[in-house]
Amino acid sequence: MKPLEIAALATFLAAGAGASAADAPGKPMKMDEPMHGEMKKESMKKGDVKKAAKKKEREMKPMIEKEAAGSTKK
Amino acid sequence: MKKRTMETSLAGHSPGLVRSIERRLFLKQGLSLGALALLSGCDPTDDEGVQSLLKGMSRWNDRAQGWLFNPNKLAPEYPESAITKPFPFNAFYSEEEVTLVDGKDYKLELEGLIREKKPWTLPELYGLPQTSQITRHICVEGWSAIGKWSGVRFSDFLARVGADTSAKYIGFTCADDYYTSIDMATALHPQTLLTFRFADQVLPPKYGFPMKLRIPTKLGFKNPKHIMSMFVSNEFPGGYWEDQGYNWFSGS
Repeated sequence: MKPLEIAALATFLAAGAGASAADAPGKPMKMDEPMHGEMKKESMKKGDVKKAAKKKEREMKPMIEKEAAGSTKK
Repeated sequence: MKKRTMETSLAGHSPGLVRSIERRLFLKQGLSLGALALLSGCDPTDDEGVQSLLKGMSRWNDRAQGWLFNPNKLAPEYPESAITKPFPFNAFYSEEEVTLVDGKDYKLELEGLIREKKPWTLPELYGLPQTSQITRHICVEGWSAIGKWSGVRFSDFLARVGADTSAKYIGFTCADDYYTSIDMATALHPQTLLTFRFADQVLPPKYGFPMKLRIPTKLGFKNPKHIMSMFVSNEFPGGYWEDQGYNWFSGS
């Protein structure tokens, strides 16, 4: 490989790595920060969704399991 | 001095006049209550009774929308040239906080009124007959964008797993903790797709890898991304935004 090609490849890889790092997903969610978007109320935090999801699961899971068990008995 | 009450001051007047004055008083008192609430910074809608009433009205609204829903009416489809580029990212978190799901270990969990509850891997899901659509995503925030999604017809998937399609609801839980639910009629609509691809590429994380339910007849927040599990039930599951007061049906 010629030096110019190596330099071009190095530049391409560096640029690619830089671009992907800038907007790369997968960073841990900052739960205490205000929510993004226009749907929220001012006081809402990102972590509110996780709390609500756990509460909903506690409410729904027994009902769904009972319902499913009832349907298999029929 | 004799204290004048409403009864004494209105005595002798015609019943029609009394009713008219009572109406005016009611309106004035209502306005005063509203002004007082504004001055005190108190939100009357925080009251539990008011909340309960509003929720009841919203559920009635859902039922009315369900009756009006035409399961055979299709949402408009568009040519490739109409696709919005770049397609907007939208979530309750930033783009860099998008949840990364490991496709190798991924299994879609099934619960509730479903006969075959075996979890589905991505290769199994990718192996199902696929279809594409170019439709408009309409956000409750007031913007819209056209995109191309590909995947399996949700009605086909539900038939394959033996879902009880006489049940009322299908609920979804997602890797980013979001949750929502839809009515069965919408689930069976021919344009409701369980999608794995966006713009002919594997669904990127920011658009919901590994799986997004695409429903062109409903608002964007009824289109869950990063779906990890689903259940069929007759128990009303609500949803995150829906439980905050957004209309549950949110569709046409």
